[in-house]
Amino acid sequence: MAGLTRTAGAFAVTPHKISVCILLQLYAPSAQMSLPFPFSSISQHNRLGLYLLSLTKSCDDIFEPKLENLINQLREVGEDMDAWLTDHLTNRFSSLTSPDDLLNFFNDMRGILGSLDSVAAQDDQIILDPNSNLGMFVRRCILAFNLLSFEGVCHLFTSIEVYCREAHSSSAQYDASNDNLGSLIQHDQMDMEKYIMDKATEEIELQKNASGRVPFHLHTPEALFKVTEEQMKHACLLVTRKEKSSTNTKKAEATQLACASSSTVNDTLVDESLFLRTNYQIQGFLMEQADAIETHGSSLSSSSIESFLQKLQNLAPELHRVHFLRYLNKLHSDDYFAALENLLRYFDYSAGTEGFDLVLPSTGCSMYGRYEIALLCLGMMHFRFGHPNLALEVLTEAVRVSQQHSNDTCLAYTLAAMSNLLSEMGIASTTSVLGSSYSPVTSTASLLSVQQRVYILLKESLRRADTLKLRRLVASNHLAMAKFELMHVQRPLLSFGPKASVRHKTCPVSVCKEIRLGAHLLSDFSAESSTMTIDGSLSSVWLKDLQKPWGQPVFSQESGSRKSSTFFQFCDHLVSIPGSVSQIIGASYLLRATSWELYGSAPMARMNTLVYATLFGDSSSSSDAELAYLKLIQHLALYKGYKDAFAALKIAEEKFLTVSKSKILLLKLQLLHEHALHRGNLKLAQRMCNELGGLASTTMGVDMELKVEASLREARTLLAAKQYSQAANVAHSLFCTCHKFNLQIEKASVLLLLAEIHKKSGNAVLGLPYALASISFCQSFNLDLLKASATLTLAELWLGLGSNHAKRALDLLHGAFPMILGHGGLELRARAYIFEANCYLSDPSFSVSTDSDTVLDSLRQASDELQALEYHELAAEAFYLMAMVYDKLGRLEEREEAATLFKKHITALENPQDEEPNMA
Amino acid sequence: MVSKESCRNEIRAAIRQLSDRCLYSAAKWAGEQLVGIEQDSSNFTPSNTRFQRGSSSIRRRFSTNESISTPQPSVGFSQPPATPLPQEDEVIDGDLYLLAKSYFDCREYRRASHVLRDQMSKKSVFLRCYALYLVLCTIQYFAGEKRKEEEMVELEGPLGKSDAINRELVSLERELSALKRTGAIDSFGLYLYGVVLKEKGNASLARASLVESVNSYPWNWSAWSELQSLCTSIEILNSLNLNNHWMKEFFLGSAYQELRMHSESLAKYEYLQDIFSFSNYIQAQTAKAQYSLREFDQVEIMFEDLLRNDPYRVEDMDLYSNVLYAKEACAALSYLAHKVFLTDKYRPESCCIVGNYYSLKGQHEKAVMYFRRALKLNKKYLSAWTLMGHEYVEMKNTSAAIDAYRRAVDVNPCDYRAWYGLGQAYEMMGMPFYALHYFRKSIFFLPNDSRLWIAMAKCYQSEQLHMLEEAIKCYKRAVNCGDTEGIALNQLAKLHQKLGRNEEAAFYFEKDLERMDAEGLEGPNMFEALVFLATHLKTNKKFDEAEVYCTRLLDYSGPEKEKAKSLLRGIRMAQTGFPSMDMEHFPL
Repeated sequence: MAGLTRTAGAFAVTPHKISVCILLQLYAPSAQMSLPFPFSSISQHNRLGLYLLSLTKSCDDIFEPKLENLINQLREVGEDMDAWLTDHLTNRFSSLTSPDDLLNFFNDMRGILGSLDSVAAQDDQIILDPNSNLGMFVRRCILAFNLLSFEGVCHLFTSIEVYCREAHSSSAQYDASNDNLGSLIQHDQMDMEKYIMDKATEEIELQKNASGRVPFHLHTPEALFKVTEEQMKHACLLVTRKEKSSTNTKKAEATQLACASSSTVNDTLVDESLFLRTNYQIQGFLMEQADAIETHGSSLSSSSIESFLQKLQNLAPELHRVHFLRYLNKLHSDDYFAALENLLRYFDYSAGTEGFDLVLPSTGCSMYGRYEIALLCLGMMHFRFGHPNLALEVLTEAVRVSQQHSNDTCLAYTLAAMSNLLSEMGIASTTSVLGSSYSPVTSTASLLSVQQRVYILLKESLRRADTLKLRRLVASNHLAMAKFELMHVQRPLLSFGPKASVRHKTCPVSVCKEIRLGAHLLSDFSAESSTMTIDGSLSSVWLKDLQKPWGQPVFSQESGSRKSSTFFQFCDHLVSIPGSVSQIIGASYLLRATSWELYGSAPMARMNTLVYATLFGDSSSSSDAELAYLKLIQHLALYKGYKDAFAALKIAEEKFLTVSKSKILLLKLQLLHEHALHRGNLKLAQRMCNELGGLASTTMGVDMELKVEASLREARTLLAAKQYSQAANVAHSLFCTCHKFNLQIEKASVLLLLAEIHKKSGNAVLGLPYALASISFCQSFNLDLLKASATLTLAELWLGLGSNHAKRALDLLHGAFPMILGHGGLELRARAYIFEANCYLSDPSFSVSTDSDTVLDSLRQASDELQALEYHELAAEAFYLMAMVYDKLGRLEEREEAATLFKKHITALENPQDEEPNMA
Repeated sequence: MVSKESCRNEIRAAIRQLSDRCLYSAAKWAGEQLVGIEQDSSNFTPSNTRFQRGSSSIRRRFSTNESISTPQPSVGFSQPPATPLPQEDEVIDGDLYLLAKSYFDCREYRRASHVLRDQMSKKSVFLRCYALYLVLCTIQYFAGEKRKEEEMVELEGPLGKSDAINRELVSLERELSALKRTGAIDSFGLYLYGVVLKEKGNASLARASLVESVNSYPWNWSAWSELQSLCTSIEILNSLNLNNHWMKEFFLGSAYQELRMHSESLAKYEYLQDIFSFSNYIQAQTAKAQYSLREFDQVEIMFEDLLRNDPYRVEDMDLYSNVLYAKEACAALSYLAHKVFLTDKYRPESCCIVGNYYSLKGQHEKAVMYFRRALKLNKKYLSAWTLMGHEYVEMKNTSAAIDAYRRAVDVNPCDYRAWYGLGQAYEMMGMPFYALHYFRKSIFFLPNDSRLWIAMAKCYQSEQLHMLEEAIKCYKRAVNCGDTEGIALNQLAKLHQKLGRNEEAAFYFEKDLERMDAEGLEGPNMFEALVFLATHLKTNKKFDEAEVYCTRLLDYSGPEKEKAKSLLRGIRMAQTGFPSMDMEHFPL
């Protein structure tokens, strides 16, 4: 189809080619001497020959150098006879005074070709074999010239005039600069020329196994971003030849050579106009832009990208990847219609092959195109825009089509995407989502729960990815698996019931295993980089859409590799690790942090997040980075108090734009809620709570995590407002929801909350079973910190039953103490301390006067921590106890001090002011 | 309504001014309208009868070439014209202008603009800029000024528009905008400014400039049509602040047509026909609107008529060929193709007609070749892209088809045929869900076409999607849109039958039967409907009605007849009930 515009790719006679022909004439003059006139030695002659070889090789693809550059290069090649060479060249040009001269010139050219049966030639004769590279070149030139119409000849003639004139006007300039820069440039260029020579000879050998990786040479992409017309014109020229070049890797190499040469020339002469942009370069550059869009998310100005894309499109209308970039851009600026429109347009034009065809010549060129990729992308787009049903339909179709066209790679990715979709949305999905499931994979499993489907899909995808050696997909599948294992209790879900509850377990070992397997990618990758090109067949910038709240990206990305190596060159321990790989590994660290968070090791969680933020922060996607920030800020809030957390939040807010539903916004609301609760500002707390709930989608079963969070907080707010029955109601309905949607881990915390509510309402007997249930849940899901906190509540409940249970409560507390003190946040620790003091005080066998330090120490510790947290209620309690103890001990002064502090906190609690640090 | 005579006078003056400024296609258009005005009977002179048209028996028309000197006070000046007659700003053209104009006429545009380089009069400035623009403009068909193909190749180079040309275009724009700021620009200059702005992609400014131009000088049809191409939605069209003038009616007619408001457009043309009763243009436009309303027979007659009056016309003939294609009139199509090829084979329309001919003949490769040629002549030739897409679909080259359709859609996003084609292509590839989006798009632009609804319904019905409820909804829409092919009713009935809703199924079968009866059709659908209805009524114990259907079935041979017989037997038994059986049981 693109054949409509393919005419540009034909071999056409240009002034530059005529220059080469003139030089060829010199190299192999028809008057056959053993060594033609100007050459003083055979090596010199060969030198010119090799140079000409490199020129002819690059003739197909490069934007042709101007005469002046050619002359400059000749100066280096020609050594002592350079003047003669250039003179001859310019003279020859100036002798072309009419189109007729051109005709004669090409007639002469015919003479330098040896006849095809030139066996009889003598040894030292110089004959241009018509079948050699140079000979072919001459023949092509002659043929192209003969095919020209008269207008064409005239056209050529005028362009020769321009070609010569340009050289004249700048030759003076060159001389001046040459004098100034002196021998340095000379030296550089010598090296460069040598490089070309070496390269050219290597080339000949390389041709045989020329199907290697596609080289990218991106010179100063920043400069390109500004897109001077001039540069883009070159780009465009090269782009129009793309169909041709993509089928011919040999040409690509020639291009590479040309790039190397021209860019070095440019670097020394600062001649902007000679920058070359091959199709590959443009593709690579676009990939880089895609990455930038993805990394910076919505903070990148979408209009600036748009204008740049517009320019690019005007100059290179056949470069369809522009549409894809536009799609990405729109995707990140949340413009659904434009994104959809551009995605469809891209695939309509390119049939899913452009940009993907660079690396997979074997399976390519199916006449059906690769529309399954379009489906995959479309599915992920719907997913991102929050249309899970549509996404599922589209992905189902993608599965079907990729099976039909036996595109296993795409199938593996689709399955991964599907499992991701199901695990994100599917927790929620009741029959409404999956009711009409036609997927060959899911339909067999229609009886299974969503989790099991996710599991099956993941397994399937993993298996395919493994056999196809899609390492990145394997890695990200492992991570997905780890996440799955982390979040979901073990398989026998069908037999859920009180009897089977023992078998519900999470398995930290398998999580750990999966994470490690995922991280193996690094070693795999450094071991064999060649297979990566196969990975690239789904270039998959599009897979980036996959990252969602959990920040678990499924990336595979061939292009990222080349360009982000610029970054890695600076940190040499990671040399040549492509961006996508580092992204996956970064994600594995984040996942580790999350798992430690759940399992209850704060230091480990923090450490992993820090590792991520320091090592992978630069290459990460914005959503991942956001997640890391979020974790760190949460950690600060828990362990250092709100002041630090809010300060950090401010920084984060500057870094990430707070759009609706962004994680940072969520975090802010959570923090504000927490803070308001502690300060006793219940109105504010309620407001935050409502706002949080308002962020969630109204659709049943979507955004479940957010909804659970919101109602959990609502119950806590009600609890703080001492509206126990309402709080209990909310908690109960929340528990039902969690049960309905199989949110096992959330169940544990809801149970704990219920126990808490009963404790606060003074109904300890009712609270006990909830606390116990929560503990058993925590045990089977390995939620150690939550378990410690539940144990604390249990102990509190026991104490609530009467002071005769103080001993038992204390024992329980001491059992949980290591966990609480080692990993617990400020609040939990303070609570434990106060409770300990309470226990001692209520224990009849304990005498304050003899053992006052035990109590006072804990209380002091607690009050310090609570002050940092601004938790007025508990702080008041601590000071009250402290004052009582001091009173008993008869230390009046200290008693008064504690009493005033108590009063201060009580008044603060009773008059909560809106002295928020204008965060609300 | 303005009087005919005043119209005539306005147009006459306008033609002179337009051709004086080398706006030939606008002048041509105006000329066509001028002779399209019906002659008053008072002005009738026998010498004019030789211009009378022989074709249509109703039509009589008179030349007007000598009426300038004889004004008709009673008619021409009884009411003041809506707009003052166009006034010449410079009565005598400068010598240089005359020279430039003759250069221009010889297509030596550079030379023409060079001659006028220092002239400051508005007219000279316009001609200079216009000539320059024509040099720069790489669109082949600008304002109808055809450019030779070789010239194109020369200009275009491998990169399309070359940089130098772009730069000159920018400087041209700058000059025009400076002129506009100082007010030293007439309506022609404004028109050119609008065109340049449009080329630059600045649609809103271009619109403003063009509106200003047509408000001050309404007789420049080129300006109107440029403006029309910028009105992509009815909102934009309504927001234009246009003075009332009879030219506005022409504009609205064509704008409505572009916006697929065919009946409004037809109304406009009908209104205009009062004055311009012999205008070929109006006839062609009416035909176009009728074509969109799928009144093929009528359109064919109109085009035949048109060709008889204006045998060397190439414009709009591609539409005629489409009609002939739809009617599968091979011979007529080949005749038309031959004729236009003799007239001018380097017009995209001609190539398109030939493409259509080959397509009808089933020679799809050749058809593609000719569509390509048409596209080479005019890259933005919408229908050629779409038709080429159809050819590729026929050739089962779906990705090429998709590409072609997509290009059509990008040329004009309102082209429902291309959207439909895209949907079809994706459906062919077994991606019905993906195709749905495209069908939806096409339906958005043409919500009243049953074919589109049926296509969408089939998509939903496909075994991959199997979304029968949605399919039913689509078929219902199709029925409401007046499904001519009678697919929808049958399918509705079958779908309901499949879903076990026998009442609904019976309802639709009955409807379908009515339709078939009315059209006098027979076939398997009919048997099916009859069998179902008979069985259904029988199970519902409505024996009389069931019997009616059964007896109808008996008229046909084949297995249905047997089925009907057994049904009838069953009915008899049920009707006469058990007594009859008893009788058999108890032999006397």
